[in-house]
Amino acid sequence: MKIDFHTHPMMIREIQENDPALSDAIQNVFGLLFPAQPLRVFILEMDAAGIDQCVLLPIDCSSAFSCKIPSNEVVAQLVKKNKRFLGFASVDPNSKTACQDLEFAIKELGLKGLKLDPALQHFSLLDENKIDPIFQLCSSLKVPVLIHCGLSWAPHGLSKLAHPGDLEETIQKHPNTNIVIAHLGWPWVEEAIMLAIKYENVYLDTSVVYSGTPQECLQHVIGTTIGKNVFERNLIRKTIYGSNYPRQDMRRAVRGFNSLAFSQEFTDNAFLNTPLKLLTGD
Amino acid sequence: MKTYYEEIHIITEQETEIINISNTVHSKVKDSGIKDGMVFILSKHTTSAITVNEGLPDIESDLKELIQRLVPDEYSYHHARYLHSDGQMAINAPCHLRSALLGFEVFFPLNDGKIITGGRQNIYFVELDGPQERTYCIKIMGNA
Repeated sequence: MKIDFHTHPMMIREIQENDPALSDAIQNVFGLLFPAQPLRVFILEMDAAGIDQCVLLPIDCSSAFSCKIPSNEVVAQLVKKNKRFLGFASVDPNSKTACQDLEFAIKELGLKGLKLDPALQHFSLLDENKIDPIFQLCSSLKVPVLIHCGLSWAPHGLSKLAHPGDLEETIQKHPNTNIVIAHLGWPWVEEAIMLAIKYENVYLDTSVVYSGTPQECLQHVIGTTIGKNVFERNLIRKTIYGSNYPRQDMRRAVRGFNSLAFSQEFTDNAFLNTPLKLLTGD
Repeated sequence: MKTYYEEIHIITEQETEIINISNTVHSKVKDSGIKDGMVFILSKHTTSAITVNEGLPDIESDLKELIQRLVPDEYSYHHARYLHSDGQMAINAPCHLRSALLGFEVFFPLNDGKIITGGRQNIYFVELDGPQERTYCIKIMGNA
């Protein structure tokens, strides 16, 4: 059993064909410019990659760009259609209804976690008035928060708002909220690693995308820059596999992770045990 | 002269997949009503191919393995970077190169409403970067 913890449900024809505003947002806000494919292709990609379940991550950009890519309701519909999908919610921290929206998405729509993207949602991770109530709610709802950190490929994404180091006070204030730093925080990988090593409630996902194949990318970041033994020793229960599909395809992302030849325990934890722990709130 | 054009959409299921499309092409030639002329079969993609070979599973397997040997997955390709025009990583250089080797089209003469082929010639759509929805075209030109 393998879970891909970082996918974006965007290039799916069925959700775009009757929603030109969503198509426009996917192209002009998130920056995906290739043709959407039938939903069946998403499932076939999972099969070809050997992935059993995918976490679907939306982004609520209501105040920054007047759009949701896609809405929590669309994610919930996809999850309802296929048990191989696990849905996260997204709420806009700039909105006064962020907590209400999150509570509705988790309790009523059945979504399993929260996705935030400070670079694209245009909020500061240092803004405790906006952040604290949301993280407190995640703690009481027992759902994890996955946060985009590092390079934002979105055309208007502000990477400067996505420094992993800016999370430290929030991490300290909310020790019972599980936080996943996405993309290993590249290029601020050392900040991300530092937080995951130090804090019990911080996790990393492996969906780094900057140059070369996933194999080259992960070999450089994990194998050369940080060192595989740092991960095996310190992050064996803190590292989660993610592809960042469709920014990169699932098949090559899995091969890239496997090329690192981590121990069986590390691999099993990254693909299954740690994601399950976060998703079940244990 | 009469012409006929149709785009055929398929969903491929594997990364590399050899799909025999001979029956579809023969059927479209029949539907076109064109008796004497040419039929062209073209892929609309740069990571797939159209080719002709004997319709045997072992030949199909050998062809798959040959293109993987000729163009290995692991090599330091130039085409391994973020592609701004797509908004995604362009990390499928081997698929493009395999497509270039196999070609994107084949054509046959038509005589008396039938495609002139050797008895063992089958027409294949070759997926080289699946799964995906794909399109190939059939253009028939000639006299009814």
